[in-house]
Amino acid sequence: MGPSSGRSPDDGAAEPLALVARVGNALRLATVDALAVGQGLVAGMTLADARARCPTLVTRPADPVADALALDRVLEAMRRFTPMVALDAPDGVILDIMGCAHLFGGAQALAQQARALAGYSSRHGFGPNAMAARALARHGERGNDVAALPVAALELDDGALAALRRAGLRTIGDLARRPMGMIAARFGEQAVTRLRQILGEAPSPIAPRRPSAPIRAEARFPEPIARTEDVMDVIEDLLDQAARQMEARKLGGRRFVIRLLRSDGARQGLAIETGQPVRDSAAVLRLLRERIDTMADPLDPGFGFDAVLLAVPRVEPLVERQQAMEGEAARAGEANIVALIDRLGIRLGPDNVRRLQPCDRHIPEGAQTFVPATQAQPQSWPAAPDRAPRPLLLFNPPQPVAVIAGVPDGPPQRFRWRDRLHEVRLAEGPERIAAEWWRRRDGHQPGGAGRTRDYYRIEDGDGRRYWMFRHGLFGEETEICWYLHGLFA
Amino acid sequence: MAGNGPISGARPAAPEAQAPCPALEQGHLHEIHSQTEDRAAALAFALTHGPLAGSGAIFALRTPRRQRLPTLFSGDGLALLGIQPGRLTIVETRTEVDMLRAGLEAARCPGVAAVLMESEGRFADYDLTASRRLVLAAEASGTCIILLRGDAEPRSSGAQTRWTIRSAPSVALEADAPGWPAIEAELLRCRGGPAGGRWRLTWDSEGGCFRDADGQAPLPGAVVPFSRLRTDAGDDGAEQRQVA
Repeated sequence: MGPSSGRSPDDGAAEPLALVARVGNALRLATVDALAVGQGLVAGMTLADARARCPTLVTRPADPVADALALDRVLEAMRRFTPMVALDAPDGVILDIMGCAHLFGGAQALAQQARALAGYSSRHGFGPNAMAARALARHGERGNDVAALPVAALELDDGALAALRRAGLRTIGDLARRPMGMIAARFGEQAVTRLRQILGEAPSPIAPRRPSAPIRAEARFPEPIARTEDVMDVIEDLLDQAARQMEARKLGGRRFVIRLLRSDGARQGLAIETGQPVRDSAAVLRLLRERIDTMADPLDPGFGFDAVLLAVPRVEPLVERQQAMEGEAARAGEANIVALIDRLGIRLGPDNVRRLQPCDRHIPEGAQTFVPATQAQPQSWPAAPDRAPRPLLLFNPPQPVAVIAGVPDGPPQRFRWRDRLHEVRLAEGPERIAAEWWRRRDGHQPGGAGRTRDYYRIEDGDGRRYWMFRHGLFGEETEICWYLHGLFA
Repeated sequence: MAGNGPISGARPAAPEAQAPCPALEQGHLHEIHSQTEDRAAALAFALTHGPLAGSGAIFALRTPRRQRLPTLFSGDGLALLGIQPGRLTIVETRTEVDMLRAGLEAARCPGVAAVLMESEGRFADYDLTASRRLVLAAEASGTCIILLRGDAEPRSSGAQTRWTIRSAPSVALEADAPGWPAIEAELLRCRGGPAGGRWRLTWDSEGGCFRDADGQAPLPGAVVPFSRLRTDAGDDGAEQRQVA
């Protein structure tokens, strides 16, 4: 199958279409459809050029990730024809239909069905091997004549291609008549390798992508079972089976889904996720029990369950670790903590079990974030040795306070907070923290950046140390507000 | 050890002869009372005055809905005290019962170095039974459980020690800048030992721990050296003020 350009049916076929991507500083066409090719547009052209040639060109931004996903879907769909399906980078699919074409009424009929199934405009080629088929699909005009293919089908770099053309060699057939030694000497070894592959003299194997079998287990009962404990026993047994499957493939589950089929046809689902890949059935069972405990509507067996199905839709590699002699206790402790975080996350919600992570911002409340503990990366806190100390607790949001300052832009002398008057005994500052103007739309305009903060470290008469800031610069604001932002030890 | 000596009834007013301030021991439940404004001081005391100062996972639990003043931990502030912020797992629960349950579970989990629970106000769910459960969990796993109680009346419990922490005036640096953190710790109760001690502790930037104000033996528990408060802070402040 050849290059396919994504075109949804509702676009209408009247206008040429191109996908546009930014390459360096210019917008260039990434992919063009057949109509655009007819207008003389090719991929790689700048958008300005293309517009000049074809004013009616419809453009969309190129999305390589979506392209890859679409190609994956096409590849999966092709599995109904043959198990030997491989990706042909960047935008093709290779099917090995040796021995299965007759099931679909011959190679041509199979190609028709495959193109209809894929749903995109596409080109196809048949060849005795993968490289020949690729060359025919991408560079062939009509028919299966390999010798008539242009030398571009070798897909060499531009220099080698230009050299071939200069030598008057236009088709594969021309090249095939020359001695291989001469070709290798003049145009590089790769030219010979590709040529021999296209001619079928050298093997060009494909690496088919095989679907990985889903990890699942199920239990069906001749008599419905109703007791929750019995159901849990069955689930434990299923988890053991799944664990054995995962162990054989060195995998661990991140998501476990249980489906309970009731005898009256109702179905109940139960799913848990873990922060780390696991295949320890006891740990998963504990999490499941936790989930059942927190469910508003616990398992209702009705007249009993007919079957219990377990699936592990999300798996990740999990290799067996060697049990080291030393540090074993510490590692066991770590595993326990991960399990504890999973348990708490299931009971309280993962957003309520969090860790602190540093952020590269200088506004104090932005310099750190709280991320769910299951996603936190272990990293050391950045040291900032040449900065004034930061408080231990931050108010969120900062608390407004009424302040009397000695001089208008000086440190506070007295402030009222929580209905108590505090006399300031010691003060240090200001530490000026400007607003992050680059995060604002009009930040570069005067006055658009937001207010500057002047932070003071102060201590009141009782020995309590506070972090306080004046919001805005004196002289720029009509009303100066003070906020308490933190408590020092 | 000096801590096992008789209660200092015979020598009432001799602070220099007083035994050093005992550390918060591992495998026990400790209660720390404070006013809301002194919460940071109490937290600093809890974090640096015992097994938390070393290494290992800390579970900090709180009930944000019950707190009148919404506060966050500051990673920079923790780092200043020599506590890597990555060691902290912050657990927030809806109700105090949930917090106690989660705290109990964390305390029972081997590998957890410390469990820190913050409450404010009455904390009705923390009764003798609940405290006894925590004590048993701490004894079984060797975890240190610290209960920070803001604006609360002391209540009878199974706690090993009960403290009141207050901020104390610091020794000013140059140009009237606030100095090293200073706190006043009062030991209200100590199971199987003398109680009623009162210490003024100042932060020792060299040792990374709080010390008795009169410069006696360093307190056990903390080893991380961390000198981050600038000693020339006063100069800077003066300069800035001249510029301003």
